[in-house]
Amino acid sequence: MLNDLQLNGILEDFDIAYWKIDLLTKEISWSEHFEALVGKPSEGVSHFDFFMNNILHRDYKYDFLVGFENLIAGSQNFNQEIKLKLNEKVRWFECRNLKSKENSTKETAVLLFVNIHQSKRDQYTIEENFFYYRETAEMTSTGGWYIDTLAPAIYWDDVTKKILDCPKDFHLVYDDRFRFYAKEHQGIALSMFEKCEKYGIPFKIELKMVTLYGREFWVRATGKPVYNDEQQITGIRGVFQDIDDNKSNEINLQNSLDIIAAQNSRLFNFAHVVSHNLRSHSSNLSLVVQLVTESKQANEKLDLIDNIVSISENLDNAISQLNSMVTHQTLLTKERRTVVFADALDVVIASVSSLVNRESANIISDFKNLKEIKYIPEYLESILLNLITNAIRYKQPGRKPVIFIQSYLVNDQPYLEVSDNGMGIDLDQYGDKMFGMYKTFHRNPDAKGIGLFITRNQVETMGGSISVTSTVNIGTTFKIKF
Amino acid sequence: MGQKIELACIIDDDKIYVNLVKKIIEIKHLSENLLIFKNGLEALEYFKVILTNMTEDKLPDIIFLDLNMPVMDGWEFLGEFIKIKNNFDKKITLYVVSSSIDPRDLERAKSFNLVTDYLIKPIELKKFEQIFDRDNKVA
Repeated sequence: MLNDLQLNGILEDFDIAYWKIDLLTKEISWSEHFEALVGKPSEGVSHFDFFMNNILHRDYKYDFLVGFENLIAGSQNFNQEIKLKLNEKVRWFECRNLKSKENSTKETAVLLFVNIHQSKRDQYTIEENFFYYRETAEMTSTGGWYIDTLAPAIYWDDVTKKILDCPKDFHLVYDDRFRFYAKEHQGIALSMFEKCEKYGIPFKIELKMVTLYGREFWVRATGKPVYNDEQQITGIRGVFQDIDDNKSNEINLQNSLDIIAAQNSRLFNFAHVVSHNLRSHSSNLSLVVQLVTESKQANEKLDLIDNIVSISENLDNAISQLNSMVTHQTLLTKERRTVVFADALDVVIASVSSLVNRESANIISDFKNLKEIKYIPEYLESILLNLITNAIRYKQPGRKPVIFIQSYLVNDQPYLEVSDNGMGIDLDQYGDKMFGMYKTFHRNPDAKGIGLFITRNQVETMGGSISVTSTVNIGTTFKIKF
Repeated sequence: MGQKIELACIIDDDKIYVNLVKKIIEIKHLSENLLIFKNGLEALEYFKVILTNMTEDKLPDIIFLDLNMPVMDGWEFLGEFIKIKNNFDKKITLYVVSSSIDPRDLERAKSFNLVTDYLIKPIELKKFEQIFDRDNKVA
């Protein structure tokens, strides 16, 4: 047992504040350090009362009193964490008695006060940070993972398991790890993990993963290499963030943007057409009026009247053509219905039978791979009508027109192809103008240059696309992706 | 009235418009002769023939070019005409004439050096007289 002097020396060297309690007289004396911390009690006030009333935080008074009484009764050790008010600041202290050896006399007890404020604060900070981390991880669906590349083994935290629909006790077999990536992204995933493991290249990438139950979803994956002291890579650490909602919003937004852009360009075209079509006739009218005013002779004036007749006829045609375009656009409000390709084709062939017969056109159809589609029937009929009349109109002179119509699926995506053996078209020269308004490419008096424009509009308003391949003198194929 | 235009050229698919302009030119005696083409290609073929035969007297002094035409539109014609124009010694004035009031068309037409001006249909009779009157023109 150390004597008091030695003890005092040690305690002071370690900057420890303590009380010495005489167990017989119950008198308490404070070490210099303790007194320096809390100050002296005023005259006539006992150390204990001063401490209880002025220094100890009130939340701890009761526990301290009970513990203290037990201590001086010699029955129990004292060990509490308490808060003290020092110069108006609250500080954490650990307060415990110095345990006496078995055979030592129990005349005095020593109560040590150790400042644990910093470690207490650190502990709080850690707890707080951990809380924020966990809440953030939950809120943002961000799961952590670690790959021990030496073992090799993979560790997932609870959030990772949750976003991958795995139970908490799920254990991932290392060789199974790529089953959690969508097929088309397994290659990317493999290469980024490899690069990180071999060369320490970190990654941040958006890719599609697959949950335990096969549901595909988008994640943002980040990973960084973990080095040991020898600067060798021993693992990869990173997070998966479930961004499926964001991603699908992004994709939806992009789609809406595309639709709006397409509609805007259609409106531009339409405005252009309206302006051009109506203006060309009205300007002719105005020319006639000017001429009528200028001409001096009655028969000249009469000649001009004939022009007014033709102009009014043309104006009438233009208006009804515009009207039919508007009608096509407003058809959109109609609902999609199941349309049988063969039925739609029958309707179309019946309506152009005179043209088909006159040209002895042979129309062959193959709808066995895709018999029907959810579409607006009027649109499908109008598309078929335009493509068929187009094929016949631009037949190769001297060759009987053959039109082959086929529907099929590729990766669940429906397609329709209309091919002909007609005169074809030089796509290098006209390709980008093919579907524009009033584009006619052949010296054909029937050409109005509006059919393909309408066809493309119809296909696109339904969310599809149309493309064309052609060889001059051999034929043309239109392909519609629904 | 100054010196008369020898040969004017209209490239336009609108028959009524062409007839009316023809009438104006006749009534006002604006040009001796008139060339009429239904579309850009017909006009281009005519100019190519002149080029091979070196018969420049058949070149027009003035061209009125429509934009929206079948087979070969005004833009395509301009693109082709630009390539052969410098082979002619004669000065040819070219006006784009369209009923399109689309500002994009106007911009595009003015981007061609060989386009003197963009005229929006209908053209007033007075404007016709002005254009055809050589003395009145700013060279």
